[in-house]
Amino acid sequence: MSAVQDILVFFQTTPALDAQVVAWARYEASKGTGLGDLVEESDPPYQNAMAAMRDGWQVIQMSELKHRSPQEGYELGPLPYQVVLSKFNELQKEEGASS
Amino acid sequence: MKDHLLNSKQMAQFVASGYLKFEEMVPKDLCRACLEEMHHNRGYLAVGTPFEETWPKGTALGDAFRLPQVQGLIHSLVGPDPLYDHHAAHLTKAEQTKGPNMHQDSVIDFRDHYFDIQLSLFPADTTDEMGGTFLVPGTQFRNVRTGEISIYHHMRGKIWATCPAGTMYVWNTRVWHGARSNYTDRDRFMYKLRLNPTRPQVCNFDTADLDDPEIGRILSTNHGWEGNEQRYELMQRVRLWRFVSDQPNYDVGERFMRRIEYQPGEAAG
Repeated sequence: MSAVQDILVFFQTTPALDAQVVAWARYEASKGTGLGDLVEESDPPYQNAMAAMRDGWQVIQMSELKHRSPQEGYELGPLPYQVVLSKFNELQKEEGASS
Repeated sequence: MKDHLLNSKQMAQFVASGYLKFEEMVPKDLCRACLEEMHHNRGYLAVGTPFEETWPKGTALGDAFRLPQVQGLIHSLVGPDPLYDHHAAHLTKAEQTKGPNMHQDSVIDFRDHYFDIQLSLFPADTTDEMGGTFLVPGTQFRNVRTGEISIYHHMRGKIWATCPAGTMYVWNTRVWHGARSNYTDRDRFMYKLRLNPTRPQVCNFDTADLDDPEIGRILSTNHGWEGNEQRYELMQRVRLWRFVSDQPNYDVGERFMRRIEYQPGEAAG
């Protein structure tokens, strides 16, 4: 089986790689093409991006700081910063897929 | 009605967290009748019409949302004579799983000093494994386009409905939320009703405890996800609290609103 890319996204309120993770998502293409059952997780898989890096994840995107204008400086919306991490894992047969 | 109004501390909790939970709001026998009706409940009624005229009478669901304790809750949050917006009987079938589906209802909504409420009735005992609706408390000030936040698979501070039959959650319709997997062999229903105010939502609750210092602490609640954004969240909560409590100069703690409002020229004038 070949290795394929898995993605781990950390959402944060500052862009630092040692910042607290407040939300997270996994896109594990090595396991399948969708997420039909989201099992609850109370904590992220790593305390921060640097802990993930020590476990072999590569940072492929980190966020820039945002400029703030008087009009938009207090607006709230999506969580402001994200770190995208990548790791190659062995391709597994997708659950429910025909052989 | 007056016996069933929210007090000021409960109202502050709604402003800070965007939801309130009331266990056993609807009696068990009425819940059973509601559950039966939910199996046949389809389609919206006339959107934007007076709730009292539009909502069915002489039915279990008609009666449930007219219970005095429910009417007191509705009055406290949206005031007298609310409008019917829409309703739905959400069914998560036995052993039906759900993937990421966090969303904010309807369309992005920037209206200031305004919120709709959604009443969510759980007509049967809802265990953790049955996958009750989840909410992320405090997210009601964060406007996003409906389902784009499904990218947030997991989020600190997330809670979900685990409750006895007859529990009602009431929440600001802008709170981020979604459905969860039902791992049991029983269908799960959540019946929701959305209402709009017809006048400014000012002091519709019981204000006898308006000066309770606990209110400042409630407004400052940290739900676990705010991080560096906590003080910007607090400013939005203070703005809404000023409005609903008719206290235009209210502030709390370090008084962050003062930090952006204080002008020495005006103070000297």
